[in-house]
Amino acid sequence: MKKPFIRASGLASPKQQHNWDWRAASNFIAGGAGGGLLLCAALAALAGLDAFAMRAAILLGLILIGGGLTCVWFEIGRPWRAMNVYRHFSSSWMTREAVVALTVFAAGGLALLTGASALGVLAGILGLGFLYSQARILAANKGIPAWRHSASIPLMVATGLAEGAGFLACVATFSATSSGSAVLLGLLVLIAVRAWFWKSYLNGLVADGAPDAALRVLKALGPRLLLIGHALPALAVAAALAGMPGRAALATAAGILAVAGGWVLKFTLVRRAAFTQGMALPHLPVRGKGPSGPAVKPGWKIIGQAHKV
Amino acid sequence: MSMETAQPKSVKHVPTYCYNCVSGPDFMCVKVVDGVATEIEPNFAAAEVHPARGKVCVKAYGLVQKTYNPNRILTPMKRTNPKKGRNEDPGFVPISWDEALDLVAGKLNAVRAKGLVDEAGLPRVAVSLGHGGTPSNYMGTFPAFLAAWGEVDFSFGSGQGVKCVHSEHLYGEFWHRGFTVAADTPNCRYNIAVGANVDVTGGPCAVIRHADARVRGYKRVQVEPSLTATGACSAEWVPIRPKTDPAFLFALIHVLVRENGLAKLDIPFLRDRTASPYLVAPDGLYLRDAQSGKPLVWDEVSATAVPHDTAGARPALAGSYRLAHAVVVDADKERREYSDVEGRTAYEMLSQHIAKYTPEWAETICDVKAETIRRIANEYLEAASIGETIVIDGKTLPLRPVAVTLGKSVNNGWGAFECCWARTVLASLVGALENPGGLVGTTVRLNKSRDNRHLSVKPGEDGFMVQYFNPTNKEEWQSAPATRNLHQTLVPIVGHNGAWSQALGPTQLAWMFQGERPDDWSMPMPTLPDVWLVYRSNPSISFWDTKHLAEVAAKFPFMACVAYTVDETNYMADVLLPEATDLESDQMIRMGGTKYMEQFWDYKGVVLRQKAVEPQGEARDFTWITTELAKRTGLTEAYFGAINKGVSGVSPLKGKDYDFSLDPASEPAPEQIWDAVCRAATVTLSEGSEEHDLEWFREHGFYAVPMSRLEWYLTPTMEKLGLRYELPYQERLLRTGRELGRRLHEQKMNWWDEQLSEYTALPEWHDVPGRWIRNLENTGAKIEDFPFWLLTTKSMQYHAGGNAAIEVMHEVAQNLRGHAGVIMNTKTAAGLGIAEGDRVEVRSHIGATYGKASLMQGIRPDTLIIIGQFDHWATPFANTIGAPSLNTIAPMSLDLTDATGSGADIVRVGVRRVEATA
Amino acid sequence: MTRYVMSIDLRRCVGCQTCTAACKGANATPPGIQWRRVLDIETGEFPDVRRTFLPIACMHCANPPCEAVCPTRATTKRADGLVAIDYDLCIGCANCVMACPYDARSIVHEAHFAYGDTPMASEAKRFDPDRIGVSMKCTFCVDRIDLAAITGQIPGVDPEVTPACVNSCISGAMQFGDIEDADSSVSRLLKETQHYRMHEELGTEPSVYYIWDQS
Repeated sequence: MKKPFIRASGLASPKQQHNWDWRAASNFIAGGAGGGLLLCAALAALAGLDAFAMRAAILLGLILIGGGLTCVWFEIGRPWRAMNVYRHFSSSWMTREAVVALTVFAAGGLALLTGASALGVLAGILGLGFLYSQARILAANKGIPAWRHSASIPLMVATGLAEGAGFLACVATFSATSSGSAVLLGLLVLIAVRAWFWKSYLNGLVADGAPDAALRVLKALGPRLLLIGHALPALAVAAALAGMPGRAALATAAGILAVAGGWVLKFTLVRRAAFTQGMALPHLPVRGKGPSGPAVKPGWKIIGQAHKV
Repeated sequence: MSMETAQPKSVKHVPTYCYNCVSGPDFMCVKVVDGVATEIEPNFAAAEVHPARGKVCVKAYGLVQKTYNPNRILTPMKRTNPKKGRNEDPGFVPISWDEALDLVAGKLNAVRAKGLVDEAGLPRVAVSLGHGGTPSNYMGTFPAFLAAWGEVDFSFGSGQGVKCVHSEHLYGEFWHRGFTVAADTPNCRYNIAVGANVDVTGGPCAVIRHADARVRGYKRVQVEPSLTATGACSAEWVPIRPKTDPAFLFALIHVLVRENGLAKLDIPFLRDRTASPYLVAPDGLYLRDAQSGKPLVWDEVSATAVPHDTAGARPALAGSYRLAHAVVVDADKERREYSDVEGRTAYEMLSQHIAKYTPEWAETICDVKAETIRRIANEYLEAASIGETIVIDGKTLPLRPVAVTLGKSVNNGWGAFECCWARTVLASLVGALENPGGLVGTTVRLNKSRDNRHLSVKPGEDGFMVQYFNPTNKEEWQSAPATRNLHQTLVPIVGHNGAWSQALGPTQLAWMFQGERPDDWSMPMPTLPDVWLVYRSNPSISFWDTKHLAEVAAKFPFMACVAYTVDETNYMADVLLPEATDLESDQMIRMGGTKYMEQFWDYKGVVLRQKAVEPQGEARDFTWITTELAKRTGLTEAYFGAINKGVSGVSPLKGKDYDFSLDPASEPAPEQIWDAVCRAATVTLSEGSEEHDLEWFREHGFYAVPMSRLEWYLTPTMEKLGLRYELPYQERLLRTGRELGRRLHEQKMNWWDEQLSEYTALPEWHDVPGRWIRNLENTGAKIEDFPFWLLTTKSMQYHAGGNAAIEVMHEVAQNLRGHAGVIMNTKTAAGLGIAEGDRVEVRSHIGATYGKASLMQGIRPDTLIIIGQFDHWATPFANTIGAPSLNTIAPMSLDLTDATGSGADIVRVGVRRVEATA
Repeated sequence: MTRYVMSIDLRRCVGCQTCTAACKGANATPPGIQWRRVLDIETGEFPDVRRTFLPIACMHCANPPCEAVCPTRATTKRADGLVAIDYDLCIGCANCVMACPYDARSIVHEAHFAYGDTPMASEAKRFDPDRIGVSMKCTFCVDRIDLAAITGQIPGVDPEVTPACVNSCISGAMQFGDIEDADSSVSRLLKETQHYRMHEELGTEPSVYYIWDQS
């Protein structure tokens, strides 16, 4: 992609990252949801989700993960060397994500083929591993303050699970068994968990400091996320659980909203709020005589404070 | 072109120099891989001798691209469209070198047949050379061709005269042989820099000197309307109102003279090295001894008036004294006798003159607080540490580590005379003029010898050093100008030392008077030259009112341009000659000694620019082109004669005990010419002990011999000759102005009267910015429509390099604020609804220029800045960057021309947003 | 042990971009790609304004976040402190670009040249297809450092084995050398001055020291 032209006055300030575009974002958006879906499906299977729905969920989860990874493959500079991604398991969460992805596909594929619920559960656990790896990929990027905050990890996991539950809620409407309530209850809980982690993430980021531009973007997201991703799906779930007519439609709507909210959240985080660290000068130089100047951190309100890594 | 990544077969590091701007030469090497120049590198072999330790500035790093730029003109071309103008495609078509040279030589031969001077008494051949004398470091033997040719008009300037530090050149050289003037930075402790942008324009030598000084802890106070890079690197920034600098400097003098008083100043220096004790009559002229005609001083020992050079006398510095009998000598040597007359010392005159220029007064003019002005003056005085000494090469000299340096637009145009005077007086008052740590001149250009300014110091009139003014007496004054810029007619102080004096005349007059002339014009009508040769010059970008200038250029009957790419000037040319550029051709020049902007060396010698790579296409070494022109115009004999005399080289090719002179009959090739120059130079420099040929120089690059640092300072030479600096009182200028006025009025010319007002003995403040406002109002424009001052500032990436077509320079320049944009104050912009990056129109009463707003806090709210000289419409690449230019909208006007013939880069403008950024 | 570091004296830097241009020449970086540059930072409000010039590039961190995240081990920290990239291993995933808090890395996906699609002779001579689609950054002119091991010259002392930016700097702002060697010019200078490393709170332990005053 093209680097946008940056004027001299903006060079020291945090800049929106442009190396990971919609393709990389898609991996977090779809892959995370896929991982979450696999885990939710495994849990639901334990709670009695029928085999068809289970298989459908696993298939959807694998498609989401596979689709995300395909998008990334189209983004990387040297796609034909993609296998090199497996060379750094000891510290790279991208390597670990790729390794986990293989196991996810192995377990998930076998589960699809055999229908063995144990394999489905295994795929679910590995799906969680995939989701966690993705959260750690973002958090390992010290160059992006909005990502490296430790509170981004539970947030990414929580939203992946909420999205997974959202998908599952949709899938479960086709279920023959009566596992629907458990799924909806799970969705409700996960929506609440995500809302809580979102709040703690944003509070943490504000407290520990982040580029003003990133905070502006994230703060602006808050009300929309609350409405679309949290309040409305929660209401829909509650209505469905309360026995309102049109339970399937309500569950589906709740699922879609939960997914949509998560995807908006992740797109915002990976693209729009992904501002770089920018530069900082704890002291301005003495120019011959006179005092040095005060600390400078262009694009940051709070100077000299960065959160613990 | 195929991509080559194989291991290189040969890698060479070719030593050469960069002289793209006036601050050169600087050393560098060209890395050449398999015959292709790939990199510019410092030349660390020169680190010991070169003040900048063998390094070049950013500009030089564009030379690789300059060599391989695909937009270069690589074959001779001729114009096929006889119509000329910005909207006429020249229709250039490639031709052979033979055809091109024959075309040019044919025109030159026609001129020789008619006579070198036309019916108006003006040379039929005009030559325009680019920035500040730098072309001479690339044009090989062309000076020898010009010498062989005879009368040439250098009047059509590309910026010299108006874009240079013009008053500093003229008055600096007059007062202390300082064509340009610098701080003795290695010893300086306090530098008031009024617009002096050395960290941008001073080249690597200035940058390292000031960086070292900063780390040592010197204080530089930058007085300037915007916070330039130099201001950024200074300890203090004083954002003064544009063009009010004289008031600021007058107030500094006031604090020294009136508030501190003579007792705290450098009395021995003022008494012995300046004209401060000279007695001035009530009519403003020096009181002179009736017999000898020498100016009188009051001897405190004998309590009588005695000639200034009376042995044993102790001249009084202050006070007024009654003299029984004395004479004064006015303009045209008119002599008046006085009896029982009161004479005041020149210092006393200064003291009374400066009384009204208090810091409180200056505050109202400059928008700088009186307390700030007073503090700076007192810091300056304290830092001068009067009485301190320093030992340099075994000699004890005064150490006066303070200097006031001036920048462009402060030291040229109206107000510049006052600034130059004031800062030289400030140096004199504390004994810092031409002493270690203080204010020092660099070199001379209006006097000889160019290579050693000390040799130009000879006793002249009245105890001062000799001056070679253009005569203003009735018999010798040049009433019919011999050049189109009238330099000998109008500007006595610019002198008549060849091309330099000519080129420093009022160059805009040459352009202006091709259009309109004053109503009372009584001289021959200026003609256009039959032949105009342009070398490394693009006046259609670098002058003012560039639209008008291009229209004038289109009228020239024949124009041959040495062309790098098509540009805005050669767009009107009849013939384009592609020259082998910086890395493709040979030349030897002098280096070392003392030279602007801050080249103060411990060595002197010679350095070779050499062909690091083969010329691209059909481009040819300019020495080859010149030799061919000499041949085709029948000037071979005279041309090689000039080369043998040392024109174009560095020493005569024949001297005592050596003879490398060239035989014209053998038609020496460029390599043979430079081989002889190399040998003569080394034999001369080594006083016969060493001789090195061109091959030796190709390997070693330069040859240097040590020089004493004592040569940096002129005062010891003045002391040795018993001479005084012509300060603070300007009796000679007063008389000269009166004479010039008489001559002009005898010719019924009153159009230079305003300029005559500058000839004063002690400069007065005269609402300098108001001149621009009145000029605007005279055109019928309303001042409220043009509420801002537009100024310009230089950029190290572009300044003088002619490299607006170089992609990498543009790229790296964009890291700095304001390039290719319009710099304005953030708050001002907000008031006008202008945001960072918005496209804005900057309009003066003659036109508009467009660029993107670049908002800064570091600029006065009433001021806009456009960096550099852009607005290209023909030069490839440069015409795509959308950079605005002050030159497009700054008028040429007689009102705005000072007595030296200069103007300044300043114009009143309005600004508005034309569209928001995408 | 050897650890090469760079000191940059902000008191000296005038923002001229000579190092930027010298780096572009020495490393043949394509248009728009600057492995190092000098930033022009303005602070304060008129008339109390400061402008500071800040050279930035790869900080060759002792604890490089780019190295940790790299899935291919293309990015490595060498024993002498240099952070290196193996262009043959890199897949251009840009994870390192995100991990670097100094904005030091970039990826070019298509070849482009100063004057369009066709390289000039100087560009063609040095065009390296291996650098397309992979992560790039300042190498501390690693070829020169490696040459020192062969010739026995000392980086920071002998120009042939010193980074191009350091060599080119006309204000003398930059020093290069082994910080483990107490006698190296850079060690001595750092002893005499007050300095900081950027974003030290991130635990990256950069190898670039910014000098702002005498000690």
